[in-house]
This record gives sequence, structure tokens and C-alpha cells, in this order.
Amino acid sequence: MADSTLTAVPLPESLSRDRPAALGRAMLPGLLAVLAVIAAPWVLDTYTVNILVRAFFVATVAVTVDVLWGFSGYLTFGQSAFFGIGAYTVAITFTELGFGPEQIAVALGATIVLAAAVAVLVGWLSFYHGSTPLYASVISLVLPIVLVQLIYSGGTFTGSSSGIVGFETFDLSTESWFRVAGIGAVLTAVVARIVLASDAGRLLTALRDNETRCAYLGIDTARVRILLLLISGVVAALAGFGYASFGGIAAPENASFTFGTELVVMVALGGRGTLVGALVGALAIEVASAYLSGILPFVWQLIVGVAFVVVIVVLPAGLFGPLRGALAALGRTDTTRRRSVRLAAVQRPTLAAASGEAVVETHDLVKRFGSLAVLSGVTFSARPGELVSLVGPNGAGKTTLIRCLADGRERSGGMVRICGRTIGRQSPHCIVALGLGRKFQAASVFETLTVADCLRIARLRRQRPSFFTASSVLPLPPAAQAVVQTSGLAERLHEEAQLLSHGLKQALELAMVLALEPQVVLLDEPTAGLTRGERQRFAEILTGLTTEAHLCVLLVEHDLDFVREISTRIIVLHQGRIALDGRVDEVVDSPLVREIYSGRPAPAAAGQRP
Amino acid sequence: MVMLGLDVITTAAILFIVSAGLLIVFGVMKIINFAHGAFITVGAYATLVTARLGLPLVLTPLVAFAVGVLLGMLTEAAIVRRLYRRPLDAILATWGLGIVLGQIVTLAFGREVQFVPAPLTGTVAVLGQNYSSYRLVLVLVAVVIGGLFTAVLGGTRLGLATRAVIMNEGLAQTLGIDSTRVRLLTFGIGSGLAAIAGSVITPLASVDPNMGLPWLIGAFMLVMVSGGSLVTLALSCVVLGGLQVLASTFVSPILGGLTIAVLAAVALRLRPEGFARG
Amino acid sequence: MSPALELANVSSGYGSSVTIQEVSLCVAPGEILALIGKNGMGKTSLLKTIMGFLPARRGSVRLHGKEVTGVLPHRKRRLGLAYAPQEQALFQDLTVRENLRLGLLYDAGFDQRLAKVAGWFPVLADRLHQRAGTLSGGEQKMLIVARGLLDAPSVMLLDEVTEGLQPSVVDRLSEVLATIRREQKTAMLVVEQHIPFVLGLANRFAVFKRGEIVETGPVDASSAERIDAHMHL
Repeated sequence: MADSTLTAVPLPESLSRDRPAALGRAMLPGLLAVLAVIAAPWVLDTYTVNILVRAFFVATVAVTVDVLWGFSGYLTFGQSAFFGIGAYTVAITFTELGFGPEQIAVALGATIVLAAAVAVLVGWLSFYHGSTPLYASVISLVLPIVLVQLIYSGGTFTGSSSGIVGFETFDLSTESWFRVAGIGAVLTAVVARIVLASDAGRLLTALRDNETRCAYLGIDTARVRILLLLISGVVAALAGFGYASFGGIAAPENASFTFGTELVVMVALGGRGTLVGALVGALAIEVASAYLSGILPFVWQLIVGVAFVVVIVVLPAGLFGPLRGALAALGRTDTTRRRSVRLAAVQRPTLAAASGEAVVETHDLVKRFGSLAVLSGVTFSARPGELVSLVGPNGAGKTTLIRCLADGRERSGGMVRICGRTIGRQSPHCIVALGLGRKFQAASVFETLTVADCLRIARLRRQRPSFFTASSVLPLPPAAQAVVQTSGLAERLHEEAQLLSHGLKQALELAMVLALEPQVVLLDEPTAGLTRGERQRFAEILTGLTTEAHLCVLLVEHDLDFVREISTRIIVLHQGRIALDGRVDEVVDSPLVREIYSGRPAPAAAGQRP
Repeated sequence: MVMLGLDVITTAAILFIVSAGLLIVFGVMKIINFAHGAFITVGAYATLVTARLGLPLVLTPLVAFAVGVLLGMLTEAAIVRRLYRRPLDAILATWGLGIVLGQIVTLAFGREVQFVPAPLTGTVAVLGQNYSSYRLVLVLVAVVIGGLFTAVLGGTRLGLATRAVIMNEGLAQTLGIDSTRVRLLTFGIGSGLAAIAGSVITPLASVDPNMGLPWLIGAFMLVMVSGGSLVTLALSCVVLGGLQVLASTFVSPILGGLTIAVLAAVALRLRPEGFARG
Repeated sequence: MSPALELANVSSGYGSSVTIQEVSLCVAPGEILALIGKNGMGKTSLLKTIMGFLPARRGSVRLHGKEVTGVLPHRKRRLGLAYAPQEQALFQDLTVRENLRLGLLYDAGFDQRLAKVAGWFPVLADRLHQRAGTLSGGEQKMLIVARGLLDAPSVMLLDEVTEGLQPSVVDRLSEVLATIRREQKTAMLVVEQHIPFVLGLANRFAVFKRGEIVETGPVDASSAERIDAHMHL
């Protein structure tokens, strides 16, 4: 049997079935925490219990802030607005409609619906192509400001600046409220921990690490973020619901940006991206504030402010960061204790398109920067099984062409079709869905995820991940599997991507792109920085992709020896136009190409002014 | 009608004075100084102090400027410079600094609202209407600030170096420009401008430890919309400021205060890069 | 006489990759060394490493015998090391005059230098107040060279300055560079793919491949063919 580079090598049988990933790590401490919450009121004095009830509700919101900021990279000052929505919905409902089971249902329903609606609106405003993290953050700051202004202008309906008091509410003892609020906070953290450790939860880290890569893996990043904001907003609103129900008061401060920034401060001091840090930070600051602000009113807040600035500048991992680092170092000696992952073949891999049909077509493609035409009149097509190299001097427009193929919003004019469908003005994640995979020049992977997790994110489009478990099986299509095995990544599935060598990172990115099961693969200078051996392996892989898997590969390269060796076709770009498009032997010997490469201007550009 | 027009122009002038410093910092350093609001507050309280000390009121903007420049340079050197590669954290840190400054002001002066007398009282007759002379003077101040900036940026060596850093920091360094020093000076001057803004708006607005914050949001939105150009900033101040005045007059003052933020947010949603190359 | 520019076993790279491997070379005052090689071989990265934009992981860079490896880029300029990058080498929105002004570290004597520029490239003198972005490709390259040499730096790094230019412009550049080499004794490290330019101007050549120098020698009749062969497709 021919030694094909793409045949999946059978793998040794290894451990187990799927099992909820963080079950051990989250459930046990969670259970202990719940027990502590149940027992605590018997031990603590009433004043402390009272403070802690409020603190638990605040801690719940802090957890949502950590999920949004620490995990998905969205710095938000606006979770307080959702908290306020919950508080005010309770207060207004019970004031206007009285108190009873139906009213409770109304208040609950209204809280959820209102919070969800606001979250979707804010999400639409904040997450879209062209938005920057800065802009999203400022929108999150504007939200509570707008809300508070609306509250101020609401007259007696919203209580204006005095808030709403005196409505009838749940008849529970403080101790019972303590348990409800405490268990709520613990539950929120535990559920968040389980989901974040699951396969689906890794997506948040991927979003934070490299949002562009996510888009080019077919993920609609805007939609993911809006969904996340929706869930976080509703949870925060429910915390506000509880808070106002307990205290019997809703005040503008509950929805203010001041509170919103306090939440960020709590998460920063406790340690962002840890969940536990949010809980600890919130509880600690709430309790300390309650005790200290009687004694040293403004000095306490000053101390917190200074600690905050110091932490941001010097200790980004929070006040307990160094401690946590030490603990982690102690606990991480045994790496085999981490879930092991094994590769498998995809059950029903997507088959390549029948040859003959062009999978990449451009017609009169134009790209302008102001008055400068970087690409003009570019027309060509490519079929499955072709390995087309795009060459040309610097500034010829090669990478621009790749961008125009992968992103419908890039070009200024002309038509592009991928796998028979015009791309119009669609964004990258839609074009990936048509069958396109793009590999970037600088290995674009998810630095803080493991190799296995990176590959799993690449599979998200093809198979729905679990929200609760982390699978120990990683199914990959044959092409991706071959890359993983021949490059040596198979032995390093549990290593973080940032620790890989340059060559391995490039291999990982290629495997991720192939995991999409694309019909067309775009590569931008893939051999830059590779050793001779790595380049050789790469050449074999690329050739295998076209001859065995019948993909269409489009390659931008500077290494002309490499190009000559593996291409079936070469397109020469010069000053934004196709100067030559033909077989390798036709192009290599052409005098026109020699002229282009030796720096003398081609005849077509003779009209240039000196 | 004349009153409305004058209101629009003077509001635009005030917005320009408040935002110019933020624009310059954003242009050179590509981050938003979230302590800008606190620097406005500091400038206002510096004015309070100079007024209480009995110094001639004409000096107060200069005192405020000096305090602002000093504070700004300290901030840049101690905080912002270390966060060059973490822009979101730079914003957070300056925000934290703003909180700290607000607390210090509260500790020193108390929470109550204070008032500072206007250096210029009375009205001037304009096109048949009597209008506050102080507000009209502010238009002059805005024009002077805009003019000074254009002159410095366009004419001096430092201005040229600054423009170079704004356009291409790496190339500027290649040509021997110490971009770190340019950043330090820019941040200082931007903060000084914020303090001047605080100083000149004190007679018009109440002075309290959190007065700077609403201005920060408005200034930020205006800077984002103007995409980095001083001229576009002036235009944005006129357009958005005008709409704010109209909303406050004909709808309600509270909603008027939200106009800039909301309209700018929507405008940026539709055209993320701002309107500079309009 | 110590070399104006000397590299000893310099290595650098981006992220985890190694782009420049143990490169050593030296350029004497008044000498022009041409660095040739195909695209993507690391020539631009080498210039960036010399300048300090890409930190050198190993080895040392010396200017007139003085160790400058870790010195910041703007300081290197002040020590007499000028650099004309291949891309984004001009401020497109500044005028020709302003771009030239930035070629000097201080404004003193600007007008005399402007007169020199008029002597080298008369066409620039006519366009002093035009925005640099509106100049033709050839005029822009002339401006880059003029700006770089305005201050008589002791070492000049030029990255593909002839790219995309008409032969007549290339000849003019070659003349100007030869004159400056003679008069100012500037040492130049010139990255090029234009062979006639190299043959007509450089004293020595070095072939750069995959981050290393694979061949070096004087430019003369015997090496002309070898040099030409390296540029084949």
C-alpha cells in the first residue's frame, strides 16, 4: 500500500469515557462551601449575617463580571445596570401591584425579559465588526449612566433620587436569606466553573486570546459575545432581584456606574479569571466596607483605589496572584492527573467537491486604498487538486488578494466566488462556512489553550460541543490527524500553545485549519522561519492535501525553490495585476518574470514618471 | 433664536476646551486617559484654592495648567508607561487613578458642592439680546486653545516631532525622535488642558468631587467620533453640542445630558473609524 | 581603522522562530556593502535588528568600535546610524520640506542642506511644499535617500531603495550615493535585488539566505556572474 501522508495511523487505546471535567475540582469545594453557608448563621452574629446577605448578592454579580472580563476579555462597567434592573423591577412591581404569588411571577418574568432585552441591545451596540474593546467598554459605562438618568427622571414611579422603599416583600428570616443568597452565589460560581471548563467554555478563552482566529474558524464571535452578555445580564438581574427583595429598598446607587466600577475593582483585587477571586474579592470588600466605612469613611475607599491601581500596574493576577501561583506550582507536579485526550477519526468526514468545478473564482477584483489601486482587474479561478502559488515582488498585492478572498468586506470591486457561491460582503466566519480555510503568516493560534483545546475549537463548527463535560476524545478528519501525527503534536496534546516552537505552532495552525474540513486552503508564507526539515515535511503535507484529499491550495510564498518544487500552477502578481498565470515550467523560464524579479520595471509599467 | 444660537456656540466652545486635551493624548498614545475627568475636577478645585487665597482670577487657569501638567507627567511616568502593551489595563489604571484623585479631593475639601464666582460678570448685548459675557469669553478661550495648538503642531520642531509620532512612531524613532519623551510631554499637556477646562467651567457648573465624570464620557465620545483630527473635533462639538442644547431646551435637561453619549454611540456603530476623512 | 559598522554573531527572530542566525559582517567608512538575496530571506529583519527594532538575542553590534547592541533606536540615530526602511519610509501626510526637516536632528543649518538636496535631486526642490504622498514612486525614493543622508550620518542602512524605479532614476541614485560616499565617507549597507545597481555601486557583496550569509566577496568582474545567478527565479 502506498505510503500516504494522510492515512490515519491507528492509535493506542487509552483511558476512559467522558466525564464532566471539573466535577472533582468544582463540586467538592462547592459542596463544602454550601455546607459552610448552611452552618454559618449559627456561628456568626446578626450584624455580620446581615452584611453577608448583601455581600453574597454582590458576589454573584462579581462572578458575572469575571466571566465577561477575566475569561472573555470584555471589560464591562455595566453589570451594575442589570443588577439595578432586577432591583427596580422588584420594587416597582411590589409597590404598584402589591405582593403575592402572581406578583412574584410577574416580577421574575419582567426581570428576566427586561435584562435580556437590554443585554441584546447593548450587545448589538458593542460587538460588531470594526468595534474595538475600548468602544465596547465605554458603551458598558454609558449604560448605567443612562439608566440612572432614566431613574432620576421617572418621578414617583421610579422614586427619583430617593429610591423606592416600603413595599411588601418575602417573609423570610435573615438566616434564611443568608442561606438563599449564599447558596445562590456558590451555585453561580460552580456552574460557571463547570461550563468554563467544558469544551464549549474553552471558546471564551479562545475569544479572549485571538478573536480573529475564531472568526476564521467559522465562529460568529459577535453572536457568542451577545449570548454571553445575555446570560450574565440575567444572572446579575436576578441577584438584584434578591437584593431588593431582602432589603426592601431599591436605590439609584444599585444601578450606578460607581457600583459597576466597584465590581471591576473587586474582581481585579481578588484575581481576574479565577471565579474564586471574584467571590473572595467581593465578600472581602463588602464586609470590610461595612465595618470600616463607619470608622474611616473616605480613607477606606482611598485605600481600595490605591490598591486597585497598584494591582493593575504591578500585580495583574490580583492580590492573591503570587499565592495562587505558588499553590498551582505545588499542585501541578503530576501532569498525568490532567484528563488525557486521545485522537480519533471523524465519523463522517466531509468529502471534497468533484474535480472540475472551480472552488475559487475571482472576476475583475479591485482593491483601492484611497486613490491607490493595490489590486486591479484580477481574474482567475482554481480547482480542487490544484496547488496554486502566488508569487511576486513586495507590494505586488499578494496578501491583499488573500484578504479579499477570505473577507467579503475587503475588496473595493469585482466578484469572488468560493465553492460556487458569491461571497458578497460577508464576513470571514460566513466564508469559512462556504468551505474556506485561511492560515496566517504569523502562526495564529490560542496561546493559553492546550494543543488539544485549540483543535477542539477548530472543530466547533462541525460538531456541537458539550456545555458541561470536557470530552476525552478528539475526533479529527484525516488531513488534520496526519498533520498532528507527523509533526509530533500528537505527543504534546496537553501542552499550552505558547510553549510550542515556531515550527510546531505553524503545524498546529495548519491542523486547526484542516480540522474545518475546508475545500479551499489559503496559506500566507507558511514556510517563513521553518527549518529545512520542517519545510520538507510541509511540502509533503501540502502535496498530499491536493493529490489525496483533493483540496484546492492557494499559497503565497517568497521561497521560490519551494514554489517550484510543489506547485502545479504559478500566478505572478506585479503591481496589483496578474502578470502571468500558468504551469510551473512556463512561468519559471519566462523572461517577463526574470525582469520582474531583477527589479527592472516590466514593459507594462513603462509609463511611470521618474 | 439668537439666544439659542449663542447657547450652541458657547456650549460647543466648552466641549472643545474639555475634549482637546483628550484628543491630543489619544492621537499620540492611542489610549484614552480615563483620569481626564479627575484632572478636570483637580483643575476646578485648584481654582477654588486660588480664589480663596485671593489671587487674581486671571491667574487661575495658569495655576490649574501647571498642576495638571505636573500630575499628568507623574501619571505617565508611573502608570501609563508601564502599560504600553496592555491598553485596556492602561484605561483601567487611569480610571483607578481618577477614583483615587476624587477620594483625595473629597478628603481635602468635603463632598459638598462649592461655588466659585465668575471672574467676569454681567452681560453683553449681542444682536439685540443680552448674553452672559463670561460664556462669550469662553468662546475666545476655545479659539485661542485651538489656534495655539495648530500653531505649535504646525510650526515648531516639537510639534513636527509630535505629528511624526502620531503618524508612525517607529519611523519617528528611526529619525532620532525620542518618542518616550514626546509621550510624556503630550500626556502632561493633555492633562494640563483638562485642568484648564475644569478651571474655566467652575463659574458655570457646580464644583464637587465627581464633577469631571460626565465631561469625560462626553469628551470621549467626541474624540472617538472625530477620529483624531482637531478640526473635526471642533465640528463635532458644534453639531453634537448643538443637538444637546436643542434636546435640553425642548425636551428635558436630563435627557439633553445624554444626547452626546447616545448619538455618538450610534454614529460610531455605523461608522467605526470616526469621521475625520469625512 | 575600525569598521564603521560591525556585527558579530548576531541572532534574532520573531516570537519563537529564529530569523537571523549568527550573522557577522563589517563595513568600513566610505565602503558600500550590498546585501543580496531573494525575498523572505531575512534581509529586512537584519536591518531591523541592527537598528534595534528587533532585539538581538545574541551577538553584538558596534558603531565605530562602540558597543550599541541594546541602545534604543532613536539613540542610535543620534550616534550616526541612519536607516531608510523599505515600507512606510515617509510621512505621507507631511510635505517634502517637513520630511526633509526630520532628517536633521536639529534645525540649524537646514537651509544649506536644502541647497545640497537641490543639487542631488533638482526635482525635489521644485516640490518642497507638496505632500509626500502625492509624489511619484521615484520621487519618493529620492526623498527617502535625501532625507537619510542630509545629516551626513556615518552609517546608512538602505532597504531596497531601487525597488520599482525607472533605470534613469536608478542611475541618478547611484551617482548621488557614489558622490556621498566619496565626500562624506559614509559607510553604507544596502539591501538590494537590482543587480546592475549593485554591480555599479557596491564595493563588496554578501549573499543572504535563510537568515545567514552564505557567500561574500568584493564586487568585480569575476563575481558579477555569481551575483547575477543568485537572483534567478
